[in-house]
Amino acid sequence: MKTIVSAAALLAASLLAIPASAANLVLYTSQPNEDAQATVDGFMAVNPDIKVDWVRDGTPKIIAKLQAEIQAGNPVADLLLIADMVTLERLKQEGKLLAYKSPEAAQYDATLYDADGYYYSTKLITTGIMYNTSAGMKPASWKDLTRPEAKGLVTMPSPLASGAALIDAQTLAAVPGLGWDFYKSLAENGAIAAGGNGAVLKSVASGERAYGMVVDYLPIREKAKGAPVEFVFPSEGVSAVTEPVGILASTRNAEAAKKFVDYVLSERGQEGFLKLGYIPARNGMKVPDGFPARETIRVLPVNAAEALKNTDQDLKTFSGIYGSN
Amino acid sequence: MPGYVRTGNSQPPWLFPFVVITVLILSVLPLARLAMVGIAAFANGGIIDVLSAPSLWSATYYTIVTSVVGTMISLVIGCLFAFLLTLTDIRGKGLLSFFFVLPMMIPPQVTALAWVQMSGPSSPLLKALAIAPPLGSPQPLYSVGGIALLYGVQHAPLVYLALRAGLMTLPRDGVEAARLSGASSFRVFSDIILPLSLPGIIAGAAISFVSCTGNFGIPAILGIPASIFTLPTLVFTKFSAFTSRTFGDVAVLSAIIAMISVAGLMIQDRALRGRDYRVIGLSGASAAVELGAWRFLFTPILWAILSFMLAAPFFALVAGALVPAYGVPLTFKTMSLHAFEEILFRQAVTRTAFVNSISLAGATAVCLLVVTVLAAYMLTRRKDAASRIIASLIEIPYSLPGIVMAVAFILLFAAPIPFLHISLYGTIWIILIAYFSWFFAVSLKPVVSAFHQLDPALEEAARLSGAGFFRRLSDIIVPLIAPAAGASVILVFLIACNELTISALLWSAGTQTLGVAIYNLDDSGSSDLASALSVLVVLMVVIMMLLLELLAKHLPKGVVPWRN
Repeated sequence: MKTIVSAAALLAASLLAIPASAANLVLYTSQPNEDAQATVDGFMAVNPDIKVDWVRDGTPKIIAKLQAEIQAGNPVADLLLIADMVTLERLKQEGKLLAYKSPEAAQYDATLYDADGYYYSTKLITTGIMYNTSAGMKPASWKDLTRPEAKGLVTMPSPLASGAALIDAQTLAAVPGLGWDFYKSLAENGAIAAGGNGAVLKSVASGERAYGMVVDYLPIREKAKGAPVEFVFPSEGVSAVTEPVGILASTRNAEAAKKFVDYVLSERGQEGFLKLGYIPARNGMKVPDGFPARETIRVLPVNAAEALKNTDQDLKTFSGIYGSN
Repeated sequence: MPGYVRTGNSQPPWLFPFVVITVLILSVLPLARLAMVGIAAFANGGIIDVLSAPSLWSATYYTIVTSVVGTMISLVIGCLFAFLLTLTDIRGKGLLSFFFVLPMMIPPQVTALAWVQMSGPSSPLLKALAIAPPLGSPQPLYSVGGIALLYGVQHAPLVYLALRAGLMTLPRDGVEAARLSGASSFRVFSDIILPLSLPGIIAGAAISFVSCTGNFGIPAILGIPASIFTLPTLVFTKFSAFTSRTFGDVAVLSAIIAMISVAGLMIQDRALRGRDYRVIGLSGASAAVELGAWRFLFTPILWAILSFMLAAPFFALVAGALVPAYGVPLTFKTMSLHAFEEILFRQAVTRTAFVNSISLAGATAVCLLVVTVLAAYMLTRRKDAASRIIASLIEIPYSLPGIVMAVAFILLFAAPIPFLHISLYGTIWIILIAYFSWFFAVSLKPVVSAFHQLDPALEEAARLSGAGFFRRLSDIIVPLIAPAAGASVILVFLIACNELTISALLWSAGTQTLGVAIYNLDDSGSSDLASALSVLVVLMVVIMMLLLELLAKHLPKGVVPWRN
């Protein structure tokens, strides 16, 4: 009997060892791990009584996880901090978000947040071209990537794995002179599209490919650490996402979630993003080292409502060109 | 002696229903739910969309090609090591065996990451040695051949262990008789040993093939960047683009993976049928073949293969964790411990992942043991059709790829449980239940074989003296099967600790496992952090194996898989 009792005790002990999620807030984010940790650490330094657990994955994957959880009746996340406004606009229209008017919004350009308070942009992330410094050609425009010198040497993130990549494709596809034909000639030139921005960075920095379409902060930051890469803002202009934050309607801790929104929009939170190498969305902030002055960056327009409407078709068009799943 | 004890009369009345209900929950329900969703997809006509998608057929093709080639590679390497380490007088067998089994214990995505760090223009190791390929060279491992090669490396120990078990029972007198009649070592090998080891080789090939078709970590890291999808990674990407049709689609995909695995096992069955491999005589043909001068050829070959399989990728992994940024060559000046610092002291996910993996593996191993002792008792005491059916139902989940079981459990628990209104999806409990289901067979096997060796007279005597079921269990059965129970716990713990395929689909906030954490770090572009965490995991595995090695003296034969 003693053995049974001790076995039962062991069983109970190991079951207790399984941690229940003790967090007050769960954040789903598409920031790279180190940045996500830094953001959460920054928030918890200001609000030591609120514990934040976070999950990182590409925007489409995070949303897929969330949708599956919602369908299962058990959404885990309280907050989203993900690549683009289009995705949050869709969630807003589906009634999945909570409206909250943050007092910090006064410091932001009206185009950067939802007037009803469903989501707020936190930073400006542009997509341009990175190249390995040992590459033969120094690209200056998007079209340079279709030149013979770049044959078989171009890589880009897939819109199926990255929210920024989707917006980039939708933006460039609307530019006269580029359009989907640009993506077709890239594919004919041997370009590949797979994975997220992290994969592009790895591939170009390591020299597997010479050129990549990628979000700005990754190569600029890696260059500062000594990686053999350069980032250029192409002459036609760049697409941009604004990594908005939003609260889910199903949150179990709305007060803490609102504090998180206020924090990332606050000057202190924005300073944190600046230190990580992002262009802050808040008015009157500096740009990080290695960036040109903010007004010199030419951001191509994207119509969020149009983009949202066309997303499924655009994904199909893209997959058709690159034969990805 | 069987027959004088009426079977079944010594069991408490609750035992049979308990085992039946457990098997219903862990095997029958999830698979039935998977089948239902698949059939519903069929009925709704959605099946045509799934079956007409070119991605499905290319994934099926890649799955089969990589698995077949991978199995052949693991056969070559596994057989070479099994023959040389079991039958010859080669030196350093214990050490060679320990290292050779190591790849099996290392999570597949760590293996993949290590090999990526070792080859191609990105390799910090090759850069440090100034022999990295030029700009624009493709990473050679991001290919069908790369996936197959790593399948081969990962699964060669499975072939080795399967074949070795057979070789250990070779009849010594047959070999000695041939020797006395003047047969050469080569004749002994080709006429006696090789034919008799065929069952082991075929079994090893089948296990390797089934493990290849279900592998997720290797094609996820090597295949996805090159747009090469196998069926398990296709299921994963379908979940990454969740739509209302996803559940139906993945049910159909899972059914196809299951069919390929079952086909592999059926081919094995077919190959072994109709042959009689029974041998009589003393077993234990140690050192049947003396290598003589050949030893000086084979010993370096084995060590060279091992260093290529293990040492080089491991050092590449360490180098990948030490470089400050991508593309920077590793020198004493550029070396930085930043990645280790970040992983150990800043990233919350590291601690979460270690705690989750270790507690999941511990809970799975211990809880399953309680169930398996009861189930094994029932299965070996009742020798009727019902118990045979139950035994094979327990076997099914582990013979299917993990991703199939993960999908089955998502479907089963996606909606809150009726009446209880508890949601398991998105919690750690769904991973735990899926682990119970998948590892049930692993846990049961050593315990059942221990029960088969028990003399029923002992327990019968206790029963006649009036001892109740629990009394007999605690005073007679448990002490006698304790070594096998220990083996079962250790085996399940080691495999569960490094699991990725199931948790890759089932994880959520706060429930990341080690496998998921490493995959995610690499996926976000932080391959330095992924490498650092992988190095820690490899060290953890080696420490656990060394602990087993230290304990081996006190454990029964056969518990520690790499020992003679």
